Amino acid sequence: MPFMIGPAPIRRTLKFLEAGRLILKEQIKIMAVHYHLNGQNNKGAKEFVFWCLPQVQYKNPHVQIATFKNLTPSPFVRCFYDTGDEMLIDVDNKSKDEILEHLIQVIGKTKEVLEAEAISKEKKDNPANFGVACDRHCICEIPGQIPCPSIVPLPEHMRGKFIYKKDM
Amino acid sequence: MSLQAAAQTTILLGRCVPCLKHNASKFKIKRLELDTNLLMYFGKEEYVYAHDPQKMCKTGDVVLIEQLPKKMTRLITHAVKKVVYPLGDITDPMTGKKVVSGKYRDHIEAVNKVYGKKEGAFKYEEAPPRGWQEDKKDFTHAETYIKYHESEKDDPYAV
Repeated sequence: MPFMIGPAPIRRTLKFLEAGRLILKEQIKIMAVHYHLNGQNNKGAKEFVFWCLPQVQYKNPHVQIATFKNLTPSPFVRCFYDTGDEMLIDVDNKSKDEILEHLIQVIGKTKEVLEAEAISKEKKDNPANFGVACDRHCICEIPGQIPCPSIVPLPEHMRGKFIYKKDM
Repeated sequence: MSLQAAAQTTILLGRCVPCLKHNASKFKIKRLELDTNLLMYFGKEEYVYAHDPQKMCKTGDVVLIEQLPKKMTRLITHAVKKVVYPLGDITDPMTGKKVVSGKYRDHIEAVNKVYGKKEGAFKYEEAPPRGWQEDKKDFTHAETYIKYHESEKDDPYAV
Protein backbone atom coordinates (compact mmCIF):
# COMPACT_ATOMS: atom_id res chain seq x y z
CA MET A 1 0.00 0.00 0.00
CA PRO A 2 1.64 3.24 -1.07
CA PHE A 3 1.19 6.30 1.15
CA MET A 4 0.15 4.36 4.24
CA ILE A 5 -1.02 7.50 6.00
CA GLY A 6 -3.94 7.96 8.35
CA PRO A 7 -5.69 5.50 10.64
CA ALA A 8 -6.52 2.18 8.98
CA PRO A 9 -5.07 2.98 5.53
CA ILE A 10 -6.50 -0.28 4.20
CA ARG A 11 -9.70 1.74 3.71
CA ARG A 12 -7.87 3.62 1.00
CA THR A 13 -7.05 0.60 -1.17
CA LEU A 14 -8.89 -0.04 -4.43
CA LYS A 15 -9.55 -3.63 -3.41
CA PHE A 16 -11.31 -2.50 -0.24
CA LEU A 17 -13.38 0.10 -2.06
CA GLU A 18 -14.39 -2.34 -4.78
CA ALA A 19 -15.45 -4.82 -2.10
CA GLY A 20 -18.25 -2.53 -0.96
CA ARG A 21 -21.49 -4.47 -0.56
CA LEU A 22 -24.07 -1.71 -0.18
CA ILE A 23 -25.30 -0.56 -3.59
CA LEU A 24 -28.20 1.81 -3.05
CA LYS A 25 -31.44 1.64 -5.02
CA GLU A 26 -31.61 4.01 -7.94
CA GLN A 27 -34.28 6.27 -6.49
CA ILE A 28 -32.15 7.18 -3.46
CA LYS A 29 -30.32 10.45 -4.04
CA ILE A 30 -29.25 11.48 -0.54
CA MET A 31 -28.06 9.42 2.40
CA ALA A 32 -27.61 11.31 5.66
CA VAL A 33 -26.04 9.54 8.63
CA HIS A 34 -26.66 11.20 11.99
CA TYR A 35 -24.64 10.13 15.01
CA HIS A 36 -23.21 11.51 18.23
CA LEU A 37 -19.52 11.32 19.03
CA ASN A 38 -20.01 10.34 22.68
CA GLY A 39 -22.26 7.62 23.97
CA GLN A 40 -22.07 3.85 23.79
CA ASN A 41 -25.20 3.62 21.61
CA ASN A 42 -23.43 5.48 18.80
CA LYS A 43 -20.40 3.16 18.68
CA GLY A 44 -21.76 1.02 15.84
CA ALA A 45 -22.75 4.07 13.81
CA LYS A 46 -19.32 5.65 14.27
CA GLU A 47 -17.60 2.45 13.12
CA PHE A 48 -19.96 2.20 10.16
CA VAL A 49 -19.03 5.73 9.07
CA PHE A 50 -15.32 5.06 9.61
CA TRP A 51 -15.18 1.77 7.72
CA CYS A 52 -18.09 1.56 5.30
CA LEU A 53 -18.85 5.12 4.18
CA PRO A 54 -16.00 5.30 1.60
CA GLN A 55 -17.17 1.97 0.19
CA VAL A 56 -20.76 3.18 -0.09
CA GLN A 57 -19.72 6.43 -1.80
CA TYR A 58 -17.41 4.53 -4.18
CA LYS A 59 -20.17 2.18 -5.26
CA ASN A 60 -22.73 5.01 -5.47
CA PRO A 61 -20.89 8.01 -6.91
CA HIS A 62 -24.07 9.95 -7.70
CA VAL A 63 -25.55 9.81 -4.20
CA GLN A 64 -24.90 12.71 -1.86
CA ILE A 65 -23.70 11.24 1.43
CA ALA A 66 -23.83 13.61 4.39
CA THR A 67 -22.90 13.10 8.02
CA PHE A 68 -24.45 15.06 10.86
CA LYS A 69 -22.50 14.83 14.07
CA ASN A 70 -23.82 15.65 17.55
CA LEU A 71 -27.25 16.64 16.31
CA THR A 72 -29.33 14.11 18.25
CA PRO A 73 -28.39 11.72 21.07
CA SER A 74 -29.53 8.63 19.19
CA PRO A 75 -28.05 7.68 15.81
CA PHE A 76 -30.11 7.13 12.66
CA VAL A 77 -29.80 7.08 8.90
CA ARG A 78 -32.10 9.19 6.75
CA CYS A 79 -32.42 8.49 3.02
CA PHE A 80 -34.17 10.82 0.61
CA TYR A 81 -35.75 9.49 -2.58
CA ASP A 82 -36.14 11.56 -5.70
CA THR A 83 -39.94 11.21 -5.39
CA GLY A 84 -39.78 13.22 -2.16
CA ASP A 85 -40.23 10.31 0.25
CA GLU A 86 -37.74 9.60 2.95
CA MET A 87 -36.67 6.51 4.84
CA LEU A 88 -35.69 6.66 8.49
CA ILE A 89 -33.52 3.84 9.79
CA ASP A 90 -32.78 3.61 13.49
CA VAL A 91 -29.27 2.32 14.20
CA ASP A 92 -29.29 2.86 17.95
CA ASN A 93 -27.16 0.31 19.84
CA LYS A 94 -26.41 -1.70 16.69
CA SER A 95 -22.98 -2.89 15.66
CA LYS A 96 -21.34 -1.89 12.37
CA ASP A 97 -22.07 -5.25 10.73
CA GLU A 98 -25.71 -5.25 11.83
CA ILE A 99 -26.16 -1.76 10.42
CA LEU A 100 -24.60 -2.76 7.10
CA GLU A 101 -26.74 -5.89 6.77
CA HIS A 102 -29.89 -3.99 7.66
CA LEU A 103 -29.14 -1.25 5.14
CA ILE A 104 -28.44 -3.78 2.38
CA GLN A 105 -31.79 -5.44 3.07
CA VAL A 106 -33.77 -2.21 3.27
CA ILE A 107 -32.22 0.25 0.82
CA GLY A 108 -29.75 -1.87 -1.13
CA LYS A 109 -30.26 -3.47 -4.51
CA THR A 110 -31.07 -7.17 -4.29
CA LYS A 111 -28.73 -9.87 -5.54
CA GLU A 112 -31.00 -10.72 -8.49
CA VAL A 113 -31.11 -7.11 -9.67
CA LEU A 114 -27.33 -6.84 -9.41
CA GLU A 115 -26.81 -10.08 -11.34
CA ALA A 116 -29.18 -8.95 -14.10
CA GLU A 117 -27.37 -5.63 -14.32
CA ALA A 118 -24.00 -7.37 -14.50
CA ILE A 119 -25.19 -9.58 -17.36
CA SER A 120 -26.61 -6.66 -19.34
CA LYS A 121 -23.47 -4.62 -18.70
CA GLU A 122 -21.29 -7.48 -19.91
CA LYS A 123 -23.25 -7.80 -23.12
CA LYS A 124 -22.80 -4.16 -23.95
CA ASP A 125 -19.19 -3.99 -22.84
CA ASN A 126 -17.71 -6.79 -24.92
CA PRO A 127 -17.50 -5.57 -28.55
CA ALA A 128 -16.90 -9.12 -29.81
CA ASN A 129 -20.43 -10.17 -28.78
CA PHE A 130 -23.15 -10.47 -31.36
CA GLY A 131 -26.82 -11.18 -30.94
CA VAL A 132 -29.96 -9.55 -29.59
CA ALA A 133 -28.73 -6.40 -27.78
CA CYS A 134 -25.48 -5.89 -29.63
CA ASP A 135 -24.26 -3.99 -32.68
CA ARG A 136 -24.06 -7.05 -34.90
CA HIS A 137 -27.14 -9.19 -35.08
CA CYS A 138 -25.78 -12.35 -36.64
CA ILE A 139 -22.47 -14.16 -37.03
CA CYS A 140 -22.71 -13.65 -40.77
CA GLU A 141 -22.07 -9.91 -40.26
CA ILE A 142 -18.65 -10.54 -38.70
CA PRO A 143 -15.73 -10.30 -41.16
CA GLY A 144 -14.00 -13.64 -41.70
CA GLN A 145 -17.19 -15.67 -41.27
CA ILE A 146 -19.41 -17.30 -43.89
CA PRO A 147 -21.64 -14.77 -45.68
CA CYS A 148 -25.37 -14.79 -44.96
CA PRO A 149 -26.95 -17.89 -46.55
CA SER A 150 -30.01 -15.80 -47.47
CA ILE A 151 -27.83 -13.82 -49.89
CA VAL A 152 -25.13 -16.29 -50.93
CA PRO A 153 -26.23 -19.99 -50.87
CA LEU A 154 -24.02 -22.34 -48.83
CA PRO A 155 -21.86 -24.87 -50.74
CA GLU A 156 -23.45 -28.28 -51.20
CA HIS A 157 -21.25 -30.13 -48.70
CA MET A 158 -22.61 -27.89 -45.95
CA ARG A 159 -26.28 -28.28 -46.78
CA GLY A 160 -28.24 -31.09 -45.19
CA LYS A 161 -30.43 -31.75 -48.22
CA PHE A 162 -27.38 -32.75 -50.23
CA ILE A 163 -25.51 -34.62 -47.48
CA TYR A 164 -28.39 -36.89 -46.55
CA LYS A 165 -29.70 -37.32 -50.09
CA LYS A 166 -30.21 -40.94 -51.03
CA ASP A 167 -29.46 -41.98 -54.59
CA MET A 168 -32.72 -42.93 -56.12
CA MET B 1 -17.63 16.59 -9.62
CA SER B 2 -17.78 20.15 -10.85
CA LEU B 3 -20.43 22.81 -10.43
CA GLN B 4 -22.31 21.12 -13.28
CA ALA B 5 -22.74 17.98 -11.20
CA ALA B 6 -24.58 19.81 -8.42
CA ALA B 7 -26.70 21.78 -10.87
CA GLN B 8 -27.83 18.58 -12.61
CA THR B 9 -28.75 16.49 -9.56
CA THR B 10 -32.48 16.23 -9.00
CA ILE B 11 -32.52 16.52 -5.21
CA LEU B 12 -29.88 17.87 -2.84
CA LEU B 13 -29.33 18.50 0.86
CA GLY B 14 -27.74 21.84 1.60
CA ARG B 15 -27.09 24.35 4.34
CA CYS B 16 -28.40 27.89 3.90
CA VAL B 17 -25.81 30.67 3.67
CA PRO B 18 -26.47 34.43 3.61
CA CYS B 19 -27.85 35.70 0.32
CA LEU B 20 -29.03 39.13 -0.79
CA LYS B 21 -31.27 38.01 -3.69
CA HIS B 22 -34.96 38.72 -3.21
CA ASN B 23 -36.63 35.51 -4.33
CA ALA B 24 -33.79 33.09 -3.84
CA SER B 25 -31.61 31.62 -1.13
CA LYS B 26 -28.06 30.38 -1.49
CA PHE B 27 -27.15 26.91 -0.32
CA LYS B 28 -23.86 25.23 0.39
CA ILE B 29 -23.86 21.68 -0.91
CA LYS B 30 -21.15 19.49 0.53
CA ARG B 31 -20.26 16.40 -1.44
CA LEU B 32 -17.47 13.89 -1.15
CA GLU B 33 -14.98 13.78 -3.98
CA LEU B 34 -12.53 10.95 -4.50
CA ASP B 35 -8.88 11.94 -4.71
CA THR B 36 -7.56 9.42 -7.23
CA ASN B 37 -3.99 9.45 -5.94
CA LEU B 38 -4.77 8.98 -2.26
CA LEU B 39 -8.04 7.08 -2.86
CA MET B 40 -9.58 9.16 -0.14
CA TYR B 41 -12.81 11.12 -0.04
CA PHE B 42 -12.58 14.82 0.69
CA GLY B 43 -15.44 17.25 1.19
CA LYS B 44 -16.06 19.67 -1.64
CA GLU B 45 -18.40 22.63 -1.34
CA GLU B 46 -20.58 23.90 -4.12
CA TYR B 47 -22.99 26.80 -3.99
CA VAL B 48 -26.46 26.58 -5.48
CA TYR B 49 -29.15 29.23 -5.70
CA ALA B 50 -32.67 27.97 -5.04
CA HIS B 51 -36.02 29.67 -5.59
CA ASP B 52 -37.53 30.68 -2.26
CA PRO B 53 -40.15 33.45 -2.63
CA GLN B 54 -41.38 33.34 1.00
CA LYS B 55 -37.81 33.28 2.35
CA MET B 56 -38.66 30.41 4.69
CA CYS B 57 -34.98 29.40 4.92
CA LYS B 58 -32.77 31.25 7.34
CA THR B 59 -28.99 31.10 7.47
CA GLY B 60 -27.79 27.81 8.93
CA ASP B 61 -30.88 25.72 8.16
CA VAL B 62 -30.45 22.34 6.56
CA VAL B 63 -32.77 22.29 3.56
CA LEU B 64 -33.84 19.84 0.89
CA ILE B 65 -33.79 21.43 -2.56
CA GLU B 66 -34.94 19.94 -5.84
CA GLN B 67 -34.03 20.78 -9.38
CA LEU B 68 -36.41 22.88 -11.42
CA PRO B 69 -37.44 21.36 -14.76
CA LYS B 70 -36.31 24.55 -16.45
CA LYS B 71 -33.78 27.06 -15.10
CA MET B 72 -35.44 30.19 -13.73
CA THR B 73 -32.47 32.47 -14.30
CA ARG B 74 -28.86 31.80 -15.18
CA LEU B 75 -28.07 31.09 -11.51
CA ILE B 76 -31.35 29.90 -9.96
CA THR B 77 -31.48 26.23 -10.95
CA HIS B 78 -33.27 24.66 -7.98
CA ALA B 79 -36.27 25.30 -5.74
CA VAL B 80 -36.61 24.84 -2.00
CA LYS B 81 -38.61 21.77 -1.12
CA LYS B 82 -38.49 21.33 2.63
CA VAL B 83 -36.61 22.73 5.61
CA VAL B 84 -35.29 19.58 7.24
CA TYR B 85 -33.53 21.05 10.31
CA PRO B 86 -34.11 24.73 11.13
CA LEU B 87 -31.18 26.14 13.05
CA GLY B 88 -31.69 26.13 16.80
CA ASP B 89 -35.00 24.27 16.67
CA ILE B 90 -34.04 20.75 15.63
CA THR B 91 -36.59 17.96 16.04
CA ASP B 92 -35.34 14.40 16.34
CA PRO B 93 -37.27 12.53 13.60
CA MET B 94 -36.99 9.21 15.45
CA THR B 95 -38.68 10.33 18.68
CA GLY B 96 -40.31 13.60 17.63
CA LYS B 97 -38.76 15.44 20.58
CA LYS B 98 -36.86 18.70 20.38
CA VAL B 99 -33.10 18.49 20.76
CA VAL B 100 -30.46 21.05 21.71
CA SER B 101 -26.80 20.34 20.92
CA GLY B 102 -27.23 16.58 21.01
CA LYS B 103 -29.45 16.35 24.10
CA TYR B 104 -33.19 16.18 24.48
CA ARG B 105 -34.74 19.43 25.71
CA ASP B 106 -36.91 17.76 28.31
CA HIS B 107 -33.85 15.92 29.61
CA ILE B 108 -31.98 19.23 30.01
CA GLU B 109 -34.97 20.78 31.76
CA ALA B 110 -35.24 17.85 34.15
CA VAL B 111 -31.54 18.19 35.06
CA ASN B 112 -31.92 21.97 35.48
CA LYS B 113 -34.92 21.45 37.75
CA VAL B 114 -32.83 19.31 40.10
CA TYR B 115 -29.93 21.77 40.14
CA GLY B 116 -32.15 24.83 40.30
CA LYS B 117 -33.30 27.01 37.44
CA LYS B 118 -31.83 30.43 36.77
CA GLU B 119 -34.25 33.34 36.17
CA GLY B 120 -32.47 34.67 33.11
CA ALA B 121 -32.32 31.25 31.46
CA PHE B 122 -33.58 30.94 27.89
CA LYS B 123 -37.14 29.57 27.73
CA TYR B 124 -37.63 27.62 24.51
CA GLU B 125 -41.42 27.50 24.67
CA GLU B 126 -41.88 31.24 25.20
CA ALA B 127 -39.19 32.42 22.78
CA PRO B 128 -40.45 34.19 19.60
CA PRO B 129 -39.58 32.62 16.23
CA ARG B 130 -36.21 33.34 14.70
CA GLY B 131 -35.84 36.67 13.00
CA TRP B 132 -37.04 39.26 15.47
CA GLN B 133 -33.53 40.46 16.19
CA GLU B 134 -32.52 40.84 12.56
CA ASP B 135 -30.68 44.09 11.87
CA LYS B 136 -30.49 44.72 15.62
CA LYS B 137 -28.37 41.91 16.99
CA ASP B 138 -28.70 39.15 14.38
CA PHE B 139 -26.62 39.90 11.30
CA THR B 140 -26.51 36.43 9.78
CA HIS B 141 -29.06 36.99 7.02
CA ALA B 142 -26.82 39.19 4.85
CA GLU B 143 -23.28 38.79 3.66
CA THR B 144 -20.56 40.74 5.36
CA TYR B 145 -17.81 42.66 3.62
CA ILE B 146 -14.46 44.03 4.71
CA LYS B 147 -14.47 47.75 5.47
CA TYR B 148 -11.48 49.56 4.02
CA HIS B 149 -12.15 53.08 5.20
CA GLU B 150 -14.11 54.78 7.96
CA SER B 151 -17.24 56.60 6.91
CA GLU B 152 -19.84 58.32 9.11
CA LYS B 153 -22.36 55.48 8.50
CA ASP B 154 -22.04 52.69 11.01
CA ASP B 155 -22.76 49.63 8.87
CA PRO B 156 -23.03 46.45 10.97
CA TYR B 157 -22.40 44.33 7.87
CA ALA B 158 -18.95 45.80 7.43
CA VAL B 159 -16.46 43.63 9.22
